Amino acid sequence: MTNRNLFSRFTLTIVTAITVSLSSSFLHFSHAASSDSSSVHTNNWAVLVCTSRFWFNYRHMANTLSLYRTVKRLGIPDERIILMLADDMACNARNKYPAQVFNNENHRLNLYGDNVEVDYRGYEVTVENFLRVLTGRHENAVPRSKRLLSDEGSHILLYMTGHGGDEFLKFQDADELQSHDLADAVKQMKEKRRFKELLIMVDTCQAATLFSQLHSPGVLAIGSSMKGENSYSHHLDSDVGVSVVDRFTFYTLAFFETLNMYDNASLSSLFSSYNPNLLLSTAYYRTDLYQQQMEKVPVTNFFGSVMKTIHTGSAYRGVSGKDGNQAKFDVSSDQSYDKDAKSITTSSDAEKQVDHPETNAVKRGTCPHADLWNVIVEKVQSIKDVDSIVNYGFVGLLTLVAVSTWQSS
Amino acid sequence: MSINYPNISQTNRRKELVAGRSDSRSPMASTAETEGQKPKHRPIIRIGIFIIAHSFLVSVVCCTAGVLALLLLPVLAKKTYVSENALMPGSATPMLSDQDVSGATRFINELTSLKLKSWNMGIEIPRLIALHMSNLGGEVNYHKFQTQPNNLHPLYFFTSPDAEANIVNKTCQSYATNTVGIIRAPRGDGKEAIVLVTPYNPVNLTQNEVLSLGIAYSVFSLLTQVSWLAKDIIWLAADSQYGQYNSVAAWLRDYHTPSFGGHGKLHADNCHGTSGMHESKLDTFVETEVSDTFRRAGTMAAAFVIKVANTGEEGEQDALNIYAEASNGQMPNLDLINVVSYLAVHGQGLRVKVEKLVSLLDSKWLNFIGEMLESVGKIARSLNPQWKFGIPVQEYVEGSATLVSSLYNQAIGVPTGSHGAFRDYQVDAITLEISPKLSSSTKARQTEFLFRGGRLIEGVVRSVNNLLEKFHQSFFLYLLTASNKFISVGVYMIAFLLLVAPLPVVAASLFSDATKSKPDSQKHKSTSSEPFQSWRWLYPTKTIFLVHLWGAIVSLLPYFIYQIPDCQPTSRLLIWASLSIIILAILHSFFGPSSTHLQEWVLLKSVTVSSLFIGLCLMSVINFATAEIGALILVPMCLMIKPWKVAGKAHSAFNFLLLTIGFPGAAFFVVKGAFGVRNGSGLVEFWYWVESLWAWNSATYIYICMVHLPCWVLCICILLHSC
Repeated sequence: MTNRNLFSRFTLTIVTAITVSLSSSFLHFSHAASSDSSSVHTNNWAVLVCTSRFWFNYRHMANTLSLYRTVKRLGIPDERIILMLADDMACNARNKYPAQVFNNENHRLNLYGDNVEVDYRGYEVTVENFLRVLTGRHENAVPRSKRLLSDEGSHILLYMTGHGGDEFLKFQDADELQSHDLADAVKQMKEKRRFKELLIMVDTCQAATLFSQLHSPGVLAIGSSMKGENSYSHHLDSDVGVSVVDRFTFYTLAFFETLNMYDNASLSSLFSSYNPNLLLSTAYYRTDLYQQQMEKVPVTNFFGSVMKTIHTGSAYRGVSGKDGNQAKFDVSSDQSYDKDAKSITTSSDAEKQVDHPETNAVKRGTCPHADLWNVIVEKVQSIKDVDSIVNYGFVGLLTLVAVSTWQSS
Repeated sequence: MSINYPNISQTNRRKELVAGRSDSRSPMASTAETEGQKPKHRPIIRIGIFIIAHSFLVSVVCCTAGVLALLLLPVLAKKTYVSENALMPGSATPMLSDQDVSGATRFINELTSLKLKSWNMGIEIPRLIALHMSNLGGEVNYHKFQTQPNNLHPLYFFTSPDAEANIVNKTCQSYATNTVGIIRAPRGDGKEAIVLVTPYNPVNLTQNEVLSLGIAYSVFSLLTQVSWLAKDIIWLAADSQYGQYNSVAAWLRDYHTPSFGGHGKLHADNCHGTSGMHESKLDTFVETEVSDTFRRAGTMAAAFVIKVANTGEEGEQDALNIYAEASNGQMPNLDLINVVSYLAVHGQGLRVKVEKLVSLLDSKWLNFIGEMLESVGKIARSLNPQWKFGIPVQEYVEGSATLVSSLYNQAIGVPTGSHGAFRDYQVDAITLEISPKLSSSTKARQTEFLFRGGRLIEGVVRSVNNLLEKFHQSFFLYLLTASNKFISVGVYMIAFLLLVAPLPVVAASLFSDATKSKPDSQKHKSTSSEPFQSWRWLYPTKTIFLVHLWGAIVSLLPYFIYQIPDCQPTSRLLIWASLSIIILAILHSFFGPSSTHLQEWVLLKSVTVSSLFIGLCLMSVINFATAEIGALILVPMCLMIKPWKVAGKAHSAFNFLLLTIGFPGAAFFVVKGAFGVRNGSGLVEFWYWVESLWAWNSATYIYICMVHLPCWVLCICILLHSC
C-alpha cells in the first residue's frame, strides 16, 4: 500500500511539474498578447472605401482615388492598400472623358491612370465584405491581394466616403454600416491583434456620429462633420457636369500636397489645418483612445510608410546576433508567412532576415515550449564534463533500483 | 355602416320612448336625458350617432369649408423643387456651338426655299429632313402611317389604343410620313431613349414649324458629337397633316408593337410606288441610308415636344409655355416640369408660363378674396413673424387663374398637346412651346433664338440623360398654380373630402328619419309586413338602378348614332337627346313606381345621395379634377333637393336654379360663358366637345353619363315627387 501510495505521489509530482511548466508558458503567451501596445511599428496599411453608386456621386469615387494617390505617393505600396470602389465612374457612359476621373475642374490630374489597383469594385463593395476585410474572416478562395494582412505592429488608415447620417453610412444605396458595426469590427481587430494604431477618417454627413461606439485603444478618428451637420461638395465641374470633390477631402489633400515622405508634419497640424469656414462643417477628432501626443505623431505614421530604422553595427552580425532582431519577430505565428511582403519596405534588419533560416528565429519568439527546450539544451550544452554526468547518472539509477526493490519486497 | 343602421333606429326609438317626444331634432337634449338609462355604446358609435343627428349643421359646415379650402388652394401652394438627385439640372455648361447653329440656319434656309418651290411638299420635306439627319450621323427611317378615324368604340373604352387598331383598306392619300432619326449612345447600353418631337405639316409648312425643326436640328447636330450620352436620342419629325396627336400616337403604337413578318409593312409597301419616293430629284444616296424598316431604341425615359409659338411675345424676354396635361388628367412627373422651368429661367433667361384662364385675371370677386387673404396674412404676420401666411393679391389671382385652367384641362381629360400620346404608354412627356419676343425677325435674332432654344433642349436632355431610373421621386398627382408652384394631392384632396363628407351623413340621417317615421304611419296596416320594413330601401334602390341603367344606355347611344350616315352634328345631338328621353319614358312606364308612400322621397333621396357619394369617390380616384368640379355642382343640389310640395317657395326656386345649372349641358354652357371661351354655335360646339371626349377616351364622359346625369334625373324625380 505504501509503495503504491508513494508511486502515485511520484506521478502526481511529475504531472504537477508538467502542468506548472505549461501554465507558465501560457502565462508567458498571454503576457505577450497584452503587451502588444509596446510592439514596434512594422508596416502601414490603408483601406480606402467609396460606398456610393451612381453617376451623381462621382465625387465620392474621386475622393477615394485622390486619397489612394496620396498614400501611394507617401509610400504605402499597392499590395498594402485595399481599395474599394462601389461604382465605376470612369467607364460610365455619362462621363465626358472616358476612362478618366478628375478631382479638379482644371483636369490636370487623371486619378484613374494605369497603375490603379481596385480590390473591391461595384457590387462587391458591401457592408459584409467591408467587415470581412477588417476582421480578416474571408472565405478560402479570397486571394491575398484582397485581404488586410496586417499584424499587431501595423498602422492602418481607414478612409470612408459616401452618404451617411446619424450613426450610419450608406453602402450601395442598399445597406448601411452602423456605428456599432464599425466599433465591433475594430474591437475584433484589436483582439486578433491586427493593428497597433488605427486612424479612421470619414467624409460624410454627420460623420462624427459614426465614432460614438468606439472603445478600442489605439484608435484615432477624424470625421468631416459633427452631428446634425452636412458635409458639402467643394466645387462643380461644369464640363463633366458633376461635383468632383468633397470639401473635407479637398482640404485634406491640399494639406498633403505640400508634404513628401520625409516631412515631419504632425497629426495635430493636420487637424488644425481644417477651417470650419471653408469646410462649411466642423471637423471632428476623437483622440481619447489614442495614448500618444498628437504633436509628436507624424502624419506619415498613417498616410505614408516610414519605418523606424534600427542601426546595426555590421552588415552580417544580424545573422548571429538575435537580440537586435528579436522585436521584429515578436509576431504571431500566423504572420510568419508574410515574410516577403514585409521584406520590401521594412528597414534593413528585416531584409537581412529574409535570408536567415526562419524556423529557429520564429520558433524562439513564438512557441514557449521551444523556448523552454532551448533553455534546457543550452544548460546541457554548457556542462563541460560529460563523463562525470554519465557516472552520476549511473549511480543515481542504481540507487533508484535499490530503493524500489527494497520497497517492493 | 350597415351594422350601424339598426343601432341608429333603435337608439332613436329608445329616445322617443324615454323622452316621450316624436321630434328627435333636438338630440342634444334627448341624448343628455337618456344618457343614464340606455346601455352605453362604444364611443365611435356615439360620435357617429351625434354627427348624424346634427346632419344639417354638419353638411352646411363641411360644404362651406370645402369651398373655402378650394379658394385657399393658391395660398397653400408650395414652391417646386427638383426632387431627384440624379437630374442635376444646369450643372453642365451648354456645349451647343456656332457650328451647330449655323448648320441649323442652313437647314432652315433649305426648308424655306423648298417651301417656296411648293412642288410635292409632302414628299420633299421628309426627304430633306431625312437627308440632314443621316448627314449628321443618325440612323434614319421613314414611318408611314394611316390616320385612324376618331370614332367611339364603347367596347374598347379603357383598353389600350392597340385594341382598336383595326386596319381598314384606305386610299394611299391618307398616308403620312414621319421621319425618325436615332443617335445611339456611344457607350450606353441602348436600353433607354429620350424622344424629341417636332410636329410639322409638310403640306403647309409655317415659319414656326421651320424654326422648331431648326432647334431640333441644332440639338441633334450637337448630340451626334458628344461623348456623354447614356441614352439613345430619337428625333421624331412628326407629320401632322392629319393631326399632331395622331402622328405621334401612330408612331408610338408601332414602336411598342413590333410586328414579326411582313404584316406591319404591308400597307406602307402598297403605297410605296405611288408616293413617288424614288423619282425624287434629291440624290439617291439617301435611299441606301434611309430604310423603311422600323428602327427602335430603348424604352423611353422622357419625351419633349418642341414647338414655336405663332404669336410673338410682348415684353423683353422670350417666353416658354409648358403644356403637361395628358388624357384623363394624368400629369407627367413634376420633376420633368421642374427641370425644364429651372433651366429655362436660370439657364436661358426665358419667362416660363403655364396656361391660365386670362378672363379670370380681372374678375372682381377673385381680387376681393385675394385682398381679404392678403390682409389676413398681414394680421397673422403682425401677431407672429414666423407665420408666413398669405400672398399678394396679384399672385393670388394669377395662381387661381392657373389653377382653374389646370383643373379644367385635367377635368375634361383631353390632352393639351401631342405629349398626351406618350402618357398613354406611361412615358413622361411635356410640350415646350417657345414664343419669341415680338420685336424683330432679323437674321441675328433668329440665330440668338436658335441658340436659346437649342441650349434649353440640350440642358434638359443632358439632365434627363443623367437619370438612372424612371421618374419616380416627385409628384404625379398635383395641380399647378404657377410654373414654380404646385399643390400636391395631400392638400387638394382636403377640399374634395370636405365637400363629399356630408353625403354619407345626410344619407344615414335621412334613412333613420324614414325608418323612424314608419311606426307612426304604418300602425294601422297589417303587422305581417313588419319584418320586411327594414328592406324598404330596396324600392328606391330599384328606381336608382333603373336610372343608372338608363345612363349606361345613353352613354352607348352615340355608337349607334354614328352608324347613321351623313348626319349634321346638330341633328345627331337631337337624335341622341330624343332617344334618351324616349328610353327613359319606356323604362318609367314598364317599371314605374310600384308603391307610393308618403315618406318614399326621403328614402329615394337617401339612396341617391349614397350612390352619388360612391360615384364621386370612384371618380376622384380616376380623375380628381372631374370629381372636384362634379362635387361642386352636385353636392349642393343633392343636399338641398326636396319635393316642391313639401318645400317652401323660395326653397323650390333655389332647387330649380340648382337643377338648371346641374344639367351637364347647362353646366358646360355656364362654364363656357363664365370664362368667355366661345367659338361656334352652342349645340355644334357641345357636340364637338363630346366628340373630343370620346376621341380621347376621357373618363369624364363615362362620369357624366353614369353618375352626373342619373343623379340629375333622380333629383328631378324628387322635386316632382307627389307627396
